Amino acid sequence: MKVLSKSKLETALNKLNQSAEVFLPMQKDKESGFYSWKLFNQGQDELMLNALNVYLPPKNVVLPQTERMYSIKQEGQEIKIDKTFEDSSPRVIFGARPCDLKAILCMDDVFLTRGYEDSFYKCRREAITIVANACFQPGPACFCAAMEINPLEPAGADVIICDAGEAYSWEAKTPKGEALTAQITEYLEEKSLSLPAAKPFVQDVKYEGVAEKLKGMFNNHIWERLGESCHNCGICTYVCPSCYCFDIQVKMWGDEGYRFRCWDSCMYEEYSREAGGGNPRGSGIERFRNRFLHKLEFFKERYGTPLCTGCGRCIVACPAGINIVKIIDEIKEAELDA
Amino acid sequence: MHKCECEQPLVPVIVEVMDIKDETPDIKSFFVKNPGGNGLPFNVAPGQCAMVSYLPVGESMISCTWQEEQEYLQFAIKRVGLMTDELHQIEVGQKIGLRGPYGNGFPVEACKGKDMLFIAGGIGLAPLRSFIKYCFKHREDYGKIKIIYGSRSYADLCFKDELFELWPQQKDTEVFVTIDNAEEAWKGHVGFVPSYLEELNPSSAGTIAVTCGPPIMINFVLKALEKMGYNDEQVITTLEMRMKCGIGKCGRCNIGSEYICLDGPVFYLAQLRDLPQEY
Ligand code: SF4
Ligand code: SF4
Ligand code: FES
Repeated sequence: MKVLSKSKLETALNKLNQSAEVFLPMQKDKESGFYSWKLFNQGQDELMLNALNVYLPPKNVVLPQTERMYSIKQEGQEIKIDKTFEDSSPRVIFGARPCDLKAILCMDDVFLTRGYEDSFYKCRREAITIVANACFQPGPACFCAAMEINPLEPAGADVIICDAGEAYSWEAKTPKGEALTAQITEYLEEKSLSLPAAKPFVQDVKYEGVAEKLKGMFNNHIWERLGESCHNCGICTYVCPSCYCFDIQVKMWGDEGYRFRCWDSCMYEEYSREAGGGNPRGSGIERFRNRFLHKLEFFKERYGTPLCTGCGRCIVACPAGINIVKIIDEIKEAELDA
Repeated sequence: MHKCECEQPLVPVIVEVMDIKDETPDIKSFFVKNPGGNGLPFNVAPGQCAMVSYLPVGESMISCTWQEEQEYLQFAIKRVGLMTDELHQIEVGQKIGLRGPYGNGFPVEACKGKDMLFIAGGIGLAPLRSFIKYCFKHREDYGKIKIIYGSRSYADLCFKDELFELWPQQKDTEVFVTIDNAEEAWKGHVGFVPSYLEELNPSSAGTIAVTCGPPIMINFVLKALEKMGYNDEQVITTLEMRMKCGIGKCGRCNIGSEYICLDGPVFYLAQLRDLPQEY
């Protein structure tokens, strides 16, 4: 098999960096997330390829937190849109964990199927190559295997690497992955490598049947209790690799400006508030319910897979201790209202 | 402009406002076409919507109340917030943004051969009007037409010339208008739409009922129709939610796993029965 020795990793990254912006997990200041290799500050920042999940997922690479869409220019009654900002410069996500990779596949479903292709997403996404880092040792909050993911052989990767101590195994899975491999072929060796044995999951989550059961639980009293302590702060949606909801806003300086989109959160009251002031999800509980139903039921009904990838980030980040694993358990145990 | 060859569903085209008409104190009709006057940017079927934007301020999803051939698209827009307030200030000749058409539209084909009952309140007549005018345009395809419409006051009734002049003259057509509270000059019916509907008690035989209006009116109308023997396949309504993208991406207009912008806004009552009661 092809092998990338860890001693050659940085040279390989430098090479890839010449033709694409390479994003990889690192600790920067107090935050960890996927940042550009260009921004890596030797001596201060720390590469986190060995970590299971960094605090922020790589969703900013496929769907930036704010993204310009088009320019607006006004002159009296005339209005012009001179420029649109689709960005198809090449990017590499290096070391995405299978849960984060699956989240990107969910976003592909949203942005590229069902009648419309979002040009901003599409241009960006087509120029992204994903090197996935297989997981052999699930962490304490991980439950990807329960959410229809194979952590050893994740679907949708262009390249899969496995950490075998001194080196990574390197396997191209798609033409994009082959092209990437060709770029660093001088740093890859051909040899055999013994991969670590897969450890069992700490979390025991049984998602089967949950989406179907939830169909009859919209009005169940359980939501009151489950969502009672939620502050609707939106942190769970911010750290979630698959939460993709966005807002479209405009920014003008006098007669010129542009329209942009930015992440939004279904946990916020403004999210679904109508121009006239009404809000179909006016209460925090209603918004809480919608988030978890979207994750566990609605997305599955629409796209055939859950919108939670079992990364466990929201469990760690939630200030109120809301735990999607417990929610799944409670749903399984809940009695259906008569 | 940009390098790739993708369609750009989120980028509006620029259209020109060729006429503006006051419908009520807070509703204006905007008639738009391509700048310079050559046709329309796209066709809009009855019941479909478009994202209308006064570009420096924002965008709003508006049901297209009528497409007149390749002459104009008409949007009747009520002042309800910042974007629509700004829109009400513009003058003829203004360029605005438009993207669409969005949504499924009314099942005009499936309704052929049926008697039609239209029930609307307030601005809710705007979406129904596209279907009503479509029926008149293809008059021989539809049976008897009854229109029940109400608003708070006489001044708040939209499309008065059609309501009182043009529509009642159409073949096999009856128009019933009501206002919420009595007014001195008003000789017509006084009362809410749902109770007027019950009073009129139009037969459900071979009829499709289409209703649009404030949520509370729709709720009572649906109950009344059920009582009058309409089954769920005979009742059509439109839903509203806050929208941003209009193409099923941004996430906010869902009811259950359906997106109102894409899968709606038009639903048979039978379809709504399957969705969470969240509208
Ligand atoms: S992080 Fe916790 S408290 Fe905050 S919105 Fe999410 S579930 Fe609610
Ligand atoms: S819902 Fe929570 S566990 Fe599931 S993918 Fe999002 S952050 Fe991860
Ligand atoms: S308006 Fe964005 S999903 Fe419907």
